[in-house]
Amino acid sequence: MSFIQAFLASPVLQMAVLAAIGASFASGIIGSYVVVKRIVSISGSIAHSVLSGLGAALWLQRHFELNWLLPFYGALVAGVLSALIIGWVHLYYREREDAIIAMIWSVGMAIGVVFVSQVPGFNVELMNFLLGNVLWVSSWDLYLLGILDLIIIVTVVIYHKRFLALCFDEKQAQLQGIPVGSLYLLLLVLIALSVVLLIYIVGIILVLSMLALPASIAGTFTFRLSRMMLIAVLLNIAFSIGGLAIAYRLDWPAGATIALFSGLIYLLSLRFKRPIIPVSP
Amino acid sequence: MNVIEVEHLSFAYNGVYVLDDINFCVKKGHFIGIFGPNGGGKSTLLSLLMGFLKPNKGRIRIFDLPPQQARDKVGWVPQNFHFDRHFPISVEEVVLGGRLAHLSWSGRFAKEDHKVIEESLERVGMRRYLKVPFATLSGGQAQRVLIARALASSPSLLLLDEPTASVDYAAQTEIYKLLSSLKGEKTIVMVTHDLNSAVEHVDSLFCIQKNLIHMSPEKVCEHFALGLYHAPLKTRKT
Repeated sequence: MSFIQAFLASPVLQMAVLAAIGASFASGIIGSYVVVKRIVSISGSIAHSVLSGLGAALWLQRHFELNWLLPFYGALVAGVLSALIIGWVHLYYREREDAIIAMIWSVGMAIGVVFVSQVPGFNVELMNFLLGNVLWVSSWDLYLLGILDLIIIVTVVIYHKRFLALCFDEKQAQLQGIPVGSLYLLLLVLIALSVVLLIYIVGIILVLSMLALPASIAGTFTFRLSRMMLIAVLLNIAFSIGGLAIAYRLDWPAGATIALFSGLIYLLSLRFKRPIIPVSP
Repeated sequence: MNVIEVEHLSFAYNGVYVLDDINFCVKKGHFIGIFGPNGGGKSTLLSLLMGFLKPNKGRIRIFDLPPQQARDKVGWVPQNFHFDRHFPISVEEVVLGGRLAHLSWSGRFAKEDHKVIEESLERVGMRRYLKVPFATLSGGQAQRVLIARALASSPSLLLLDEPTASVDYAAQTEIYKLLSSLKGEKTIVMVTHDLNSAVEHVDSLFCIQKNLIHMSPEKVCEHFALGLYHAPLKTRKT
């Protein structure tokens, strides 16, 4: 059975494609800011630190029978908290930023591993976190993804020019009275929200490839950030569906296959990097 | 009227003083050139004037206000090579960076803002590059666009950080021609290494090497004749 036939016949695959499209919007838009602001390592740090909240919530849920406490809530708290800590260090102790990013990355992950190891059946939870479960998304996950996309699109429509100024020239934005500190924290919180939801749906392996690679490729096709976002969203959709089709054909894990497919196209795109040539209109 | 007043200003990075007991004032409409060795504190002084750094000692007043409160009267021109040359942004978007203070809550610029940036680009001879990607401009063109961005905020005080660094001779001539046309209309403070050209245009020169020495352009020319590219040794503080 071909991928298209399977897609038409299987509600599971249809949900996976819908999740991939939803995730593509969030990651294409936010990923473009991440790439031009050169904060991919910050996104990586936030992504890995999320495991601490996820593990803690899982442990609390099982240990104290707090059934309402979903691991997603823990992940959300950890992601936003890590983003705020990194943002605060960037604003007030910039010389320590690298070390703090590395610390949050490794310590966050370590806390998560310790908590998850204390929960029976932890291997399954940990593997879900690392590889994602795009083929097991529920309608609730899709609903959350839709809300996140809506929040991101509305925020970006209102704040795009301010974010552009922040990414291009922080000093000029500050001179013009833009609250650069609050805006940077808002951008990091949006990154955290995207990362948390994307991890929950597609896993930590895929989240960084969905954030950074399509936006980086898109950057070689355009000199406008708004167009870069649009191209990154389209590339994300293409890579996700293409990756799912390959995963279906080869019976490979979906998240990892999409990440490998994106990585391969990124490497190929490096050959076609457009040189910067002065122009005379 | 004094646009800038600096009294007993000292500033240190991690306990090491780069500026020590600086005193000067700049009158309205004057064009001041600041020169000195690398690491002498020139760019630090500009950051202090814009309120991005706080002095360890002393006082700065811009239009009789603390620097942070006078930012709406200040236009800033950084060096173009500080920017990521691959950044996806058009000339129009760069120059609109000078109108951010007028941005509506919904993130829209008014027609008036677009008109102002087109006039600013016209003034620097870059109007026809409005839709061109900033990344594709030459160093001199990029520098003129950054001057247009500063002018778009209609500043009374223009601060420039080595605007002729890394540009060719023709671009340098264009930039000086442009700055000369602004003389009198704006108060200009320009950090430069290019003393040869600067002396022809500025009203006064400040040599900064931890301390500040006030010099007239004629005095600097005399020292050039003697092959000296620094402040007169006799007047230098140690």
